[in-house]
Amino acid sequence: MNRPRHMKTGTRLAIFGLFVALVTLTLAGFDQFGVFAAESESAVDAAASTGYGPAPKLTADDYPTIAGVNSRVAVWVFAQLHLWFAAFVLAVPIFVFIIEAIGMRTRDKRYDDMAYEFIKVTITAYSLTAILGGLLIFALILFYPHLITYLSTIFKESMFYYALLFFAESAVLYIYYYGWHWLQGGFKKWVHLTLGLMLNAVGTTLMLLANAWLTFMMSPAGVDAAGVFSGDAWAAIHNFLWNPINIHRFVANIAFGGSIVGAYAAFKFLTATAEKERAHYDWMGYNANFIAICALLPLPFAGYYLAAEIYAYSQQMGITLMGGIFAWLFIIQAVLIGTLFLSANYYLWCGMGRSDGAKRYTKYIKYIAIVLVGAFLVWFTPHTLVLTNEELKSLGGPHHTILGPLGIMPAKNTAVNLMILFTALSFMFYRRANKIATVSWVKAGNAVQVALYSAGIVNIMFLGIYHGYFTNTVYKVAASIPQVLTTLVIMVVSITLDSFIYRGAKEVGPLRWGRIPARAQYALFLLAVSFTWLMGLMGYIRSGIRQHWHVLDIMRDASPDAFTPTLGYAANVVSVAAIIFMAMVIFVFWIAQVGSNKTLPAGYWKE
Amino acid sequence: MKIPRLLQAVLILAGVYFGFIVVFDVLLDAVIPSSLLAMYMFFVTAGVFMVFTYDEDQTRELVAPIKAMVEDPSKRVWRNTVFVIVPLVVGVGTYQQMQPSFQAPVELRTIHPAPPTTAMIYGKRVKLLELENPFRKLEKEDPEQFGELVNEGAVVYIENCQFCHGDKLDGKGPYAAGLNPTPLNFQDVGTIAQLQESYLFWRISTGGPGLPKEAAPWISSMPVWQDFLEEDEIWKVILFLYDYTGHRPRSWEHE
Amino acid sequence: MRQFLAVVAFTLLTIGFFAGYSNFGIPQIEPAPPPKEEKLDLSSMTMDQFIALGERLFNGKGTCTLCHNALGRAPMLGTIADAVPKRLKDPRYTGEAGDIEEYLIESLVEPSVFVVAGFGKKGTNDTESPMPDVSGGSIGLSEAEVAAVVAYLQDSGGAEVTVEIPQDIDEEGDDEEEGEAREAVNDPKKLMAMFTCDACHMINGVGGDVGPNLSKIGANRDRAYLRRAILDPNAEIATGFEADMMPADMGEQIYVKELEVLVDYLAGLK
Repeated sequence: MNRPRHMKTGTRLAIFGLFVALVTLTLAGFDQFGVFAAESESAVDAAASTGYGPAPKLTADDYPTIAGVNSRVAVWVFAQLHLWFAAFVLAVPIFVFIIEAIGMRTRDKRYDDMAYEFIKVTITAYSLTAILGGLLIFALILFYPHLITYLSTIFKESMFYYALLFFAESAVLYIYYYGWHWLQGGFKKWVHLTLGLMLNAVGTTLMLLANAWLTFMMSPAGVDAAGVFSGDAWAAIHNFLWNPINIHRFVANIAFGGSIVGAYAAFKFLTATAEKERAHYDWMGYNANFIAICALLPLPFAGYYLAAEIYAYSQQMGITLMGGIFAWLFIIQAVLIGTLFLSANYYLWCGMGRSDGAKRYTKYIKYIAIVLVGAFLVWFTPHTLVLTNEELKSLGGPHHTILGPLGIMPAKNTAVNLMILFTALSFMFYRRANKIATVSWVKAGNAVQVALYSAGIVNIMFLGIYHGYFTNTVYKVAASIPQVLTTLVIMVVSITLDSFIYRGAKEVGPLRWGRIPARAQYALFLLAVSFTWLMGLMGYIRSGIRQHWHVLDIMRDASPDAFTPTLGYAANVVSVAAIIFMAMVIFVFWIAQVGSNKTLPAGYWKE
Repeated sequence: MKIPRLLQAVLILAGVYFGFIVVFDVLLDAVIPSSLLAMYMFFVTAGVFMVFTYDEDQTRELVAPIKAMVEDPSKRVWRNTVFVIVPLVVGVGTYQQMQPSFQAPVELRTIHPAPPTTAMIYGKRVKLLELENPFRKLEKEDPEQFGELVNEGAVVYIENCQFCHGDKLDGKGPYAAGLNPTPLNFQDVGTIAQLQESYLFWRISTGGPGLPKEAAPWISSMPVWQDFLEEDEIWKVILFLYDYTGHRPRSWEHE
Repeated sequence: MRQFLAVVAFTLLTIGFFAGYSNFGIPQIEPAPPPKEEKLDLSSMTMDQFIALGERLFNGKGTCTLCHNALGRAPMLGTIADAVPKRLKDPRYTGEAGDIEEYLIESLVEPSVFVVAGFGKKGTNDTESPMPDVSGGSIGLSEAEVAAVVAYLQDSGGAEVTVEIPQDIDEEGDDEEEGEAREAVNDPKKLMAMFTCDACHMINGVGGDVGPNLSKIGANRDRAYLRRAILDPNAEIATGFEADMMPADMGEQIYVKELEVLVDYLAGLK
């Protein structure tokens, strides 16, 4: 009896696939072979005849001062706010799409409701993103007119299409959101899912275009040493750091978006009065945290890739990044990422209280905690220690024989790999908490899991210690790739293996959503706040490593603000921006709720 | 007897704290910097808090004594004592923090700053990357003459350097106690063993004043030795430093 | 509302902790201010920057590496310290330089005064160099730029850098003056009048007596001395006369050709 339904699903799948193919093709053509290729040919001719000028050489007089505003801080704050909102509104549709698809597959309406709620609470954020983007571009035009003129001569086509794409983005978004309840069931649902995919495609394209402009400033391409544009727009877009930034931002956006909606769910959980409501928001918070962790785990690797590419592009920029003043920035970063890992783990542990079977695993939590904290301490031990004079004397110099080696890359790589691995382990325990495996080879399977983890940990430690202490400096970073591979292999193999072990497993009891302490919700807030602040900090370093250049080595920043600020100064700007962002997010969430409030004023209207 | 959870937590924290101090300061004879220990303890505390509070029942057990202390009428004396002692402790701590001391302010200083690509030494502009010890090749070619040069370097060292850097090259010469920052300990694997000979030549010949800003040239008491020694004498002293300590100069060639 | 305030307080505390740690938990290192643009400001340039400027000119605007490269179209310049003293003594040398610095400046603007064997124009038997005058034509290095290139050549060639960084040179102004430059004067008598030498110096009974009598100057002074005396009058003062009397900016007013005419003339007064 199931057969016809399957066939129908197959037909729908085919139509859906067609849509996907169409959208992909359109985008691919647009991006690489279509518009830009055509434009660039004509542009080459144009360059030959009319010619582009070199990048302007500016003096301090070329930067207007307006109403005593510090132009750099203004642009900085607007850019950061715009970026936070953009990251948020790009990330949410990605997992809304996935959740909607899961709902369609499992026919569990809870997923569909959750997906709708996610998109509902972010809808206002779209207009805020656009408003902040407008403010940013105004600030750039007002405060940095020559820079924006120069950039727009190179990126004129992409900037134009970027603006046009906003129409597409808004149109798709509004149909997607307002049509949610209309496009339900059967074929309509597939149309709706396709709209979700299109929304993501347009959103991602927008991000890719904007990324091209900023990576051009870091690794200019398509121009000569004086900044004369060759006319090849694709070369300027497809510059050296474009893809590394694309990947890093894409993954980080998902983690960030997950953490923000997690905070939303946490707040709703805390203020909920009905038991059912608490259960719903607990479940929503869990899913948000799950999304955030899934994206958080590969993020360090994306970061390494980006840093390695920055090194490869310009060794000088790489050294600026990892040494000197920015070396201390990575200590702050370590503190923040450590906070993220700890709070995400804490949330998982608290969540074990939902299941009656968790007691079997809670005894391991303290060991996980010891490893996490230990690895974290290694990770944030700075290379240059701050010593008092007495300590200096007692050590006989600033070099610490024991702690010194913890400050260098092999130790830190080892630590971060262990942190990732043990977070995965926390998650595995959580998944197992409510299940009892029924397959015959449980013991063997568990033994393999233990062996797998042990071997992996030994391998990571060995690589770290061997490369950290026993090889020439030239080889010190060589350990990172095998370590990362070890971590990835363990995670993939153990998750696959576990899904086989627990195939057809019986449940200990029903999961009691809502049975979680309020403290755990604060872990979600901590996750969201730390993520926001961390993004701001890393935005500062990404922009800051250009130092006194608008466009690296091509267009010099001659403004009085060309100096690189201290970390404290940057942290203060980031903090103020983060507070503004948080206030705006609260507004966004509040306005989403207002829509469903009704006041019945007695005796106000004529009867 | 089961130890109350609050006491457990406190004991663990104290154990970790004194553990760090015992291991580093006593067993390893390498003090743990107080700034680092403070941050370590902050995160250890966070970790302990996490482990002790992820479960609702255990959390209740943990905070029960605190709750009782604040709320239970029968614990009035105990409560009032605590409420007097805690502000006092905080007050004393703050006072000691703010009290002016004779300690010089901490100055963050890069000990082995990146050398400039070229430097003016003995009136010549030398490229530090390409500079080599002219006597190093004799180590293989003419060990006897090399030994003599090392001995000559030893004489130069004893006549000029040992007053601060010590006759055992361990940075503990007779004048070392009066200096801040302390003279470099050449025996340490983290010093000359990590550096190329050209780097030593640069540091010895241009001394403290030749340091870049991040290395705080204003607090280094290393003399500008090119004003007092011959070029050859510096190269010989460098031979002696490596010979005596048994270190090898760093080389960027793969071995 | 209570929950809301608690969450706000928690958020502010967290941000406060991060900001506090960044401000007080780690050392605040003030990054070095952006480097000065060397070209705009010669006066604040260190010798290292000046040499670096020379290197950029050598590889860039000066187009030197078109020929002075490993392909062997022109001599390599890495051994100047050894080679120049020999060239100065070489009988084929027709220039007037006394030391490495002068030689280098001379060879940049008058490449043919010494042609390294085998590198001359074809058919001239190494008497004429194929190299252009770098101060003219399409290359057009200014006086300061030539000095920077010389500094770089001395530095990279193993010689002591003796060039001084020119101060207060307004490069654009220089260019304009050269644009409407006067014709070089070939008559030594006219030159003497133009630079009003006779106001102080007497030649064959004509002129003042503030400076030494030049009627027989060629008999006991050589050309190098004369050239230096014109360009740097305070380098050596004739007995009985005071320093700082003769203008020290002759080098900025007189053309190289004119200088040679003048020196020839004076050397011939015996």
